[in-house]
Amino acid sequence: MAVRAQFENSNDIGVFSRLTNKYCLVAIGGSENFYSVFEGELGDVIPVIHTSIAGTRIVGRLTLGNSKGLLVPSTTTDQELQHLRNSLPDSVKIQRIEERLSALGNVIACNDYVALVHPDVDRETQEIIKDVLDVEVFTQTIAGNVLVGSYCALSNQGALVHPRTTIQDQDELSSLLQVPLVAGTINRGSDVIGAGLVVNDWCAFAGLDSTATELSVVESIFKLHEAQPTAIVKEMRDSL
Amino acid sequence: MALYNFKRIQPVPAANDFLDIVLSRTQRKTPTVIHKNYKIGRIRQFYMRKVKFTQDTFEEKLKAMLEEFPKLDDIHPFYADLMNVLYDKDHYKLALGQINTARHLIDQVAKEYVRLLKFGDSLYRCKQLKKAALGRMATIMKRQKDSLAYLEQVRQHLSRLPSIDPNTRTLLVCGYPNVGKSSFMNKVTRADVDVQPYAFTTKSLFVGHMDYKYLRWQVIDTPGILDHPLEQMNTIEMQSVTALAHLRACILFFMDLSEHCGYSVEDQIKLYHNIKPLFTNKPTFIIINKIDIVRPEDLPVEQQDMLKEIAEKDGAQIIQLSCFTDEGVMDARNTACEKLLTARVEVKLKGQKINDVINKLHLAEPQARDNVARPPIIPEEVKGRSLFNLNDPNRRKLERDLEAENGGPGVYSVDLNKLYIFKDPEWRYDSIPEIIDGRNVADFIDPDIQEKLDLLEREEERLETEGFYDSTEEIVDSEDEALRDLATEIREKKKFIIQAHRSKKMMKNRPILPRTVKTKSNKFFNLSLWRKWKKQLGKLGLDTSAVRARSLTRKRKRNDNDGDDSEQMDIDLPPNVLKSRRLGVSVSRDRSVAGLAVGQQKQTTKYRKFAQRRPNQFAKAGEADRSIQVKRPKHLFSKKSGIGKRDWR
Repeated sequence: MAVRAQFENSNDIGVFSRLTNKYCLVAIGGSENFYSVFEGELGDVIPVIHTSIAGTRIVGRLTLGNSKGLLVPSTTTDQELQHLRNSLPDSVKIQRIEERLSALGNVIACNDYVALVHPDVDRETQEIIKDVLDVEVFTQTIAGNVLVGSYCALSNQGALVHPRTTIQDQDELSSLLQVPLVAGTINRGSDVIGAGLVVNDWCAFAGLDSTATELSVVESIFKLHEAQPTAIVKEMRDSL
Repeated sequence: MALYNFKRIQPVPAANDFLDIVLSRTQRKTPTVIHKNYKIGRIRQFYMRKVKFTQDTFEEKLKAMLEEFPKLDDIHPFYADLMNVLYDKDHYKLALGQINTARHLIDQVAKEYVRLLKFGDSLYRCKQLKKAALGRMATIMKRQKDSLAYLEQVRQHLSRLPSIDPNTRTLLVCGYPNVGKSSFMNKVTRADVDVQPYAFTTKSLFVGHMDYKYLRWQVIDTPGILDHPLEQMNTIEMQSVTALAHLRACILFFMDLSEHCGYSVEDQIKLYHNIKPLFTNKPTFIIINKIDIVRPEDLPVEQQDMLKEIAEKDGAQIIQLSCFTDEGVMDARNTACEKLLTARVEVKLKGQKINDVINKLHLAEPQARDNVARPPIIPEEVKGRSLFNLNDPNRRKLERDLEAENGGPGVYSVDLNKLYIFKDPEWRYDSIPEIIDGRNVADFIDPDIQEKLDLLEREEERLETEGFYDSTEEIVDSEDEALRDLATEIREKKKFIIQAHRSKKMMKNRPILPRTVKTKSNKFFNLSLWRKWKKQLGKLGLDTSAVRARSLTRKRKRNDNDGDDSEQMDIDLPPNVLKSRRLGVSVSRDRSVAGLAVGQQKQTTKYRKFAQRRPNQFAKAGEADRSIQVKRPKHLFSKKSGIGKRDWR
């Protein structure tokens, strides 16, 4: 189930939302249309939470989370923290971290088992990630980009990375993450996958500009709708 | 597609029209008035220009023609061959070659006559030379009548050719005449090809398009081929052969077992064997058409064997269909497309271009690095759920619906507390103070915070008792002191500098005359000398008023009749204006300070002086100084314009 959405005329929905298997954070916008896209799909399954982080709407880029925890940057206000604590189930730990690179969503990418981090992230932060999110942490780049969170989308079933990732890098990343992985685009050829796509184990939301081909790749690689990743190779080969 | 579009070639005019076009252009675009009493240079130049211009126009038109017509060596071999079949390569090349020759000849004629015109000694001679030049050019062009007519025909035919892309995915339909090729074409594409129950209904190539797997496919319908040697084939058949030979397509060889087409099954199989060499390296299918009449199973055994032999030997798959009942048509299309697609992909994967995109065709499968299971976390309720449907009457009520009910975006304010997860849902709307007893609520998020604080305090105490903080403050080294002294010294010096500067500033922006200059300029009129002299005389008790009386200009005194005119009417004037001024009839005020209060006036003067300070210091010209921008404006010093030769106006 890959759904197209748009946040106030922006296709970069990954900037304004953060999706995990246990909860979903959505920015507070001018209208409820964006929120309701998530609410419609996820409403009775996991909490879909309106929030701001440090007073901004870019919640997807500032936070990082999986089903076990949520990391927020040091700029998060106490009220926001309290709101998140009240809204999230008790099984989800919340941690505010002092990190110079405060856009955690850009510098870290994670699923429920593995996290990839920017090479400049502090050792202490890496320890916190390991403890709070209960993941293995690897320092990595994607296609030469240090912003690993921006250039990939991860779930426990698959991963989509920057279109210029070499085959060797793909194999390496796939082995680190232990999920099948393809290189691709979203939003009609955009390479910032993290901004255009939010995904969890059963659901994906992509920017409104995404083409049918891009969505079919997303559905296959993330095994949504009983699709299998092997279908990608076959389909894409046909369009050569 | 854009690569082979012959529709844009400009029409080729017939020889006479061509001449008319060129000559009338010369007439229109060159000067037409000349007199015999003009200078001979001018007359020569006039006619040379005509000759050259005509030649240029010819050159331009012919060159455009030569460039627009496709060169057989540059285009795809399919088109080259097709043009050879349709228009005869030699004839085509010859025509273009003749046009090129004509172009050169005209060029030479023009050169020759321009040279002669240089020696023309009268208007009449020059005119005759020009006439001869244009006449010769026209003769050359008239000789190209046939070539031009031929090229025009070629152009018209070319522009009507179907725009076949020789490189794209293509299904090529071929076979004996009247076996149902065009019917199939009409079934799978929207091309409306004429279908008639006689042979050679299709006389040229037709192209149709269809979609399969979201890709664009091209289907080419060819005219029927008869089974005879290549040399005896006519133009219509040769078009089919050209397409078969040059297009890397999927070949669909149509057969009609019912023999309704008028050719026996044996003949058709023979044709297949004859043109088989054209099918190498292409996915080939034998399509048995009209199975609503005869199926292969109904044939005599020998014919069935022949068919089987083809299938086994050449690897051509046999497909049965009926365009009449639509049976098997789509299956045939899909099988053919699928096979062509795989063949094309295989070829492409071997090529060089693939390296750019190969990484996007790669599915990286993980290699297990440990035995940890990493299952997806999918809640039970998600399984079997369909996508949210906005039109479902039983759907969940969304925040958006609430928003619409409560005044729409901008009015509705979302309830953030609604979804709070608490033991008792009633607590959701409890107001929580931000700070209570000097503590932030966030301070209580960590349950162990008191213990941690205690631990820190105990450590602090320990450090204090150990004297960790004592020693540090007493150390003041001499180096520090020296540094401080230096700093005070610097500060003091700075103060002096500022003071000196301020005292200098007291001079405001008055010009400062060096003493040397002063003495020099006072050589003839030494004021201080005068003053000294006056002083001295005064001491001696003499009247000194006459000393400079003559050299000073006498001014009209304004206050001569001051005091005795009190009976005159008082005029209300500002009190700061002198009484004498008040009495004057016209009062002229300084416009630059008009309407300003006294304080503001002072301020403006101050600003003005400040603004003038720098220009004054460097003796710069201000805006009030007289200046002449242009000494001799061109338009005032030039004559009337002549015949328009100058380039400046």
